[in-house]
Amino acid sequence: MTADRRTGGRAVATAVLAAVFLTASPPDRLTAQDSQFGIRGLGTPGRWESVRSRSTGGAFAPFDPLSPFSEAALADVPQLTVTAMGSASYRDAEVSGTPSALRATRFPLLNVVGRVHRRLAIAAGYTTYLDRTWDVTLRDSTLLRGTLERYTDEVTSDGSIADLRLAAASRVTRRIALGAGLHLLSGSTRETAERRFDDTTFHTVQQRAEVRYSGVGLSGSLLLGVAPGLSVTGWVRADRRLRATVADTTSADTDLPRMAGGGMLFSPSPSVRFGGSVAWRGWARAGAGAFDTWSWSAGAEIGAGHMPLRFGVRGGQLPFGPGPTAPTELAAAAGTGRAFAQGRALLDVGVERLERRGGGLTERVWTALVGITVRP
Amino acid sequence: MMARRATLIGGVLLAAACVERVSAPGNCPSFCPSGQIQIVDTVLTSIISHDSSFRGYVTALHAPLLLAAGLPGFVDGRAIFRVNGYGQRYLLAAADTGTILGADSARLQLTLARRDTGAHNLSVAFYRLPITIDSTTTFADLAGPFTDSLVRRINIDTLLARPGRKDTITGDSAVVDTLNHVVVLHLKFDTAAARYVGTDSGTVAYGIRVSADSLASIAIAKSTLAWQWYLRVDSAGTPVARKPSPLGYAFASFVFDPPLPPTDSTLAVGGVPSARSILRVAFPRFIRDSSQIIRGTLALVPVAPVQGAPSDSFVIEAHTVFTDVGAKSPIIVDATRTDTAVIHAGMSDTVQIEVTNLLQFWASDTTRATTLVLRAKEEATSFSQIRFYPSAAQAFRPALQITFVRRFPFGQP
Repeated sequence: MTADRRTGGRAVATAVLAAVFLTASPPDRLTAQDSQFGIRGLGTPGRWESVRSRSTGGAFAPFDPLSPFSEAALADVPQLTVTAMGSASYRDAEVSGTPSALRATRFPLLNVVGRVHRRLAIAAGYTTYLDRTWDVTLRDSTLLRGTLERYTDEVTSDGSIADLRLAAASRVTRRIALGAGLHLLSGSTRETAERRFDDTTFHTVQQRAEVRYSGVGLSGSLLLGVAPGLSVTGWVRADRRLRATVADTTSADTDLPRMAGGGMLFSPSPSVRFGGSVAWRGWARAGAGAFDTWSWSAGAEIGAGHMPLRFGVRGGQLPFGPGPTAPTELAAAAGTGRAFAQGRALLDVGVERLERRGGGLTERVWTALVGITVRP
Repeated sequence: MMARRATLIGGVLLAAACVERVSAPGNCPSFCPSGQIQIVDTVLTSIISHDSSFRGYVTALHAPLLLAAGLPGFVDGRAIFRVNGYGQRYLLAAADTGTILGADSARLQLTLARRDTGAHNLSVAFYRLPITIDSTTTFADLAGPFTDSLVRRINIDTLLARPGRKDTITGDSAVVDTLNHVVVLHLKFDTAAARYVGTDSGTVAYGIRVSADSLASIAIAKSTLAWQWYLRVDSAGTPVARKPSPLGYAFASFVFDPPLPPTDSTLAVGGVPSARSILRVAFPRFIRDSSQIIRGTLALVPVAPVQGAPSDSFVIEAHTVFTDVGAKSPIIVDATRTDTAVIHAGMSDTVQIEVTNLLQFWASDTTRATTLVLRAKEEATSFSQIRFYPSAAQAFRPALQITFVRRFPFGQP
């Protein structure tokens, strides 16, 4: 009895800690890992994966009920579960031989899943849809009043667009589970444009605005048990237009992509799991400079005990970038997890090494991931 | 226990990682936002109209400086002042007064707030004036005394060149204040130069003329002008020396010839009495409402070169007004909403006054009258004035050059 009480107390403490992390941070931190490739486009798409899935390169995401990716995976959730994650990325961006060391901390995921009926599970939460946090400085000159005036520009954007998802899933048969989700896209960015002239006769240009974003999307997925230990899944998602408003005036209305993907999970034994997934996203609809993208991932989780080992790789394309072809990315990830309080609290950690290339820019990123899951 | 420790460590690590560094050099256009800061520079020649100028805001009497100048072809200016005395009797003790028998001497403290360092053999001459001088006294009224009543002449260059800047023979001395860029003169007037006439209550009046090989122009600070009497007082039949406290001026002003011509259609600024010009600006709405002004320059073409010695250079201020009621429009005196330009003697080029602060003020408060008032920063402290072509002179009319930034296209991918 005492042990149970202690276990429950630890779970509650962990939940409180998770809540503190998420509520104590400003909203603009609720974003994913950003990229210089997202500056010229709509932003950097987020990764809709929990730490566990991210540690396998994203291969397990379509099968992970705690990743807001494929709704069908929710069908087998046994109980109310809350998960949240934080990440710290260290990014080196090098373009034309000029390196920049960048650093960011993000809290890109909060997901609550639970069963409301024997055959129905639901989930609610948010993840990052597009990250729009960047800060660009530029040194240049312009001819003004017959004189070459040197200046420094700084254009910044701070914020993101979140994907607020309400999802439901049901196991229709022993082999088939179906899921669907409604996605509300909402967010804002604080944007500034500043120009400082060397000649202070010209006053500093300082403009700022808060840009609000809104949109809506639908998704559906199917999880199929092909054979014992072998599952496949497929998902589709269609997002409508992303509306950007500044001071109640629509400044842009951009088509959002339709997406589809699938995955396979093979578990030859309870302690070994292999996964793979592939996804297509039709970002080219977003306008000039946007590309349709393919992405893939493969990973494994070994060990069913308290500290399983996870690893994986992923690759693919980025939707925004200069030039005629989409930038590419390749990443390797590894991680583990630890259960506490008799499995009521889980702490997942992971690390990812990522490289993005395109248009003369190379980004290399180390990302540390921490996830907290609570099953009260 | 271990779970708590692990959770704590994870939390601490996560909190420690909360550091942002997202600023990176831009590589444009590939990795820069599609929107650009767009700057427009335009010269607006027809937005200034209904301009006029008025004179008489600050007169010689109310000026903080006494001006004296001997600039042939431009102006002959003479400072005049009066110091009231103690009367015929002097308070020797609490209940004892004595007749003032006369003065052994007097000492005048004079602060030269401005002089032309290029002037050689700079001399000041003191003339005894009628004690009846007042604000109605004209240059012509004093022509006689300034001809035949010379009481002292001091060569300032010679005095400054002496060891310790002291003349042991005349009793004069000088102090150079390099911090405030002023010269303080302590000049001794002997009994003949400083006559204490009891029937005049000891009142004395003097006029100051200045001369030099060239560029003879000085300005004397009114506030520090002080007169120290060294009196002889009858104390029970015995003359005793008394040094009363120094006296300030009872009247101080200056007269000059020729007077400035009356205002005409040109836009006059400066001079004595001081002139101001008022310009009405039709501030374009497309700039005011949807852009950010980063520089505004008012260009004014002088009608003629500015006359005066180089030290007579003055600063023009451009103010806006609380409300436009013509010549008496109350100006907004606020350093953050005032723009200036220095007017040098001899200047004939186009004068450019940066009026960015004023334009930004108008843009931020559209209820304000878009009226500019040009005046000298310290009015009536220089004989020099500048006259500009008005808007009626099509070829040389005032113009406003505005550099502004259009609204940044925030929110566009």
